[in-house]
Amino acid sequence: MSTKAPKRRRAASLDKRKARGGYLFVLPFILGLILIYFPVIIDSFRYSLSSMTFVGGGAGFNVEFVGLDNYQEALFVDTSYVTTLINGIKSLVIDIPAIVIFSLFIAVILNQKVLGRAVFRTIFFIPVICATGIMGSIAAATSSYNDYIADQGQSINTGALDDGGFQMNAEKITMLFENMKIGTELADFVVGAVNRISGIIERCGVQMLILLAALQSISPSIYESCSIDGATTWETFWKITLPMISPMILVSAVYTVIDSFTSESNQVMAYINKTYSEANGNTKSAAMAWMYFGIIILIVIVVVAVMQAYVFYQRRDN
Amino acid sequence: MDNQANAPKVLKETKNKITVDFERTSLKERLKLKYLNMSYLAMLIWRFFRFLLLMGVSYVILYPFFSKITSSFMSAEDFVDVTVKLIPKYPTLDTYKAIIVDLSYFKALFNTALLSLVSAVLQTFICCIIGYGFAKFKFRGSKLLFACVLLTMIVPHSTIKLSLYMKFKYFDVLWITKLLGGGVFPWLDIIPNAETGMFVNGTSLDLTNTLWPLAILSLGGLAFKNGLYIFMMRQFFRGVPDELEESAYIDGYGIMKTFFLIVIPLSVPMMITVFLFAFSWQWTDEFYTGLFFNKTKMYLLPHLVGQVPRSLDTQYAGQSLFEAAIQNTIGLMIIAPILVVYLFCQRYLVEGIERSGLVG
Repeated sequence: MSTKAPKRRRAASLDKRKARGGYLFVLPFILGLILIYFPVIIDSFRYSLSSMTFVGGGAGFNVEFVGLDNYQEALFVDTSYVTTLINGIKSLVIDIPAIVIFSLFIAVILNQKVLGRAVFRTIFFIPVICATGIMGSIAAATSSYNDYIADQGQSINTGALDDGGFQMNAEKITMLFENMKIGTELADFVVGAVNRISGIIERCGVQMLILLAALQSISPSIYESCSIDGATTWETFWKITLPMISPMILVSAVYTVIDSFTSESNQVMAYINKTYSEANGNTKSAAMAWMYFGIIILIVIVVVAVMQAYVFYQRRDN
Repeated sequence: MDNQANAPKVLKETKNKITVDFERTSLKERLKLKYLNMSYLAMLIWRFFRFLLLMGVSYVILYPFFSKITSSFMSAEDFVDVTVKLIPKYPTLDTYKAIIVDLSYFKALFNTALLSLVSAVLQTFICCIIGYGFAKFKFRGSKLLFACVLLTMIVPHSTIKLSLYMKFKYFDVLWITKLLGGGVFPWLDIIPNAETGMFVNGTSLDLTNTLWPLAILSLGGLAFKNGLYIFMMRQFFRGVPDELEESAYIDGYGIMKTFFLIVIPLSVPMMITVFLFAFSWQWTDEFYTGLFFNKTKMYLLPHLVGQVPRSLDTQYAGQSLFEAAIQNTIGLMIIAPILVVYLFCQRYLVEGIERSGLVG
């Protein structure tokens, strides 16, 4: 019998080592957060409370604390900020449900066996890649021109540049809804959605991907047992598919809110950017942006709180 | 016996083969039953409308491209000719030539390709690491940190626009440059500027018009939509079974070795997806382009927008149409390279997302 105990270095437990590994992997983000992001956020808040003057020759800048002056100016002196804000939020309230519903619909269809599914998928995700950023502003620049042509009723050559003739005649839809005796709110919603259909389709890409992935993750055996029990496709959709993917519907709804509120093509963002570039380094734009950020947070919280009540979480064994 | 009476009639019986005759509905009858009923009809109608709908949506997506492509080949006369609809009567390549020559397209293309490639590669790798850290390790504060990831997604760009610019215009993390006492740092200059290079104002570095701002943001996982990439990566790694890594640990691999030799090869489709997003969104980005890059010092593709090539004479009746067509052509030339990249990578896009099991 050997009494010699093996000489052992006290090794950290697996849990401890894994915790350390976790910090190691997340380290880039922690560093970025501490060194860049938080200072930037704090600076931004500081700028929104102060006025800034540049010292000549790019040598530096002076920051002077002015309190809530910037906020006051944005809200009460600037005539168009509040109206832009209200209009922007109104149009987004129309767009966001439309985007979520549309992307859910397309995801469900693309999940079925459709003729040429691969081709359709390729086409549907093109806007994700190509319709962002600078392309959006080109489209905006040329579409205002198209609207002008449509207003003038001129018969000159617009065929080359229109967006496919999807500016539907709003009056006809309104008439249809008036005949159906449904409230004007719904009519407004549909008219707004139809008029912006190409914009809505272009913003559906990522949500479609998320929902498609969610649909694929539902176990086929659930559908099988449903069909054995005699459920129709319609019932299966409402009782199985929708509850199963509801967490991802929440995710895509939140993503839609964030994406449409922070996209550069959004009119409020455009207005803030305009204020920023008018006087290079105008601190009023920071104040505007902070108020806007507050509204976004509020809307995200409301959306999450409302949808959380309907979301179904499947209980897993592990 | 009943059984005997209902049994099929034996027509012919040999040693190893038997032919029986039983009452079978005729083929015609069977086809009728299968295809001539309401549910089959309903399915046909549904399939037809489904296909029609997909075609319609594809049309909405593709039509702008089609109209932009055709109008980019139109010559100046086509825009005043009322009879020209979509198909140009006098096709010409002048618009393309003018953009390439007058607006130095290839210079912008090279700069943008370099910028997008550097930041996309960095972002893919960094977001992969961070996502893995969030997915597989439990440590104190991980939930709070993940909330910070979501925060970086929610904060609108314009909120941090001014301070981000100031940060990189007067770059001085931890007062390092102040300690160094200022001076010119030529070794930091990746893209040589026409002017002084990276100039230093007193105690801080001016990093605008270099690759550094985006490289630094990418390294911290803070660049454009990096929160989304981290989220996607995290969800993907949560779907990878823990047993895989546990068996690697048992075989004597450390955490790092497991990550690089086992996990990274697994996650290639997802990384391609993230790379595709990062690359193309950086390519068409106007926020950072407008913020950090000056047209004269660092010429990028988004800077082309809004310019009219000198050699094209737009002072005539169809001016506004012609100028809009020029802008659309510029747009086409900006996205053409990423469209090619997309067509090669799109297989991975859906595959990566499907395999990710985004539902955690």
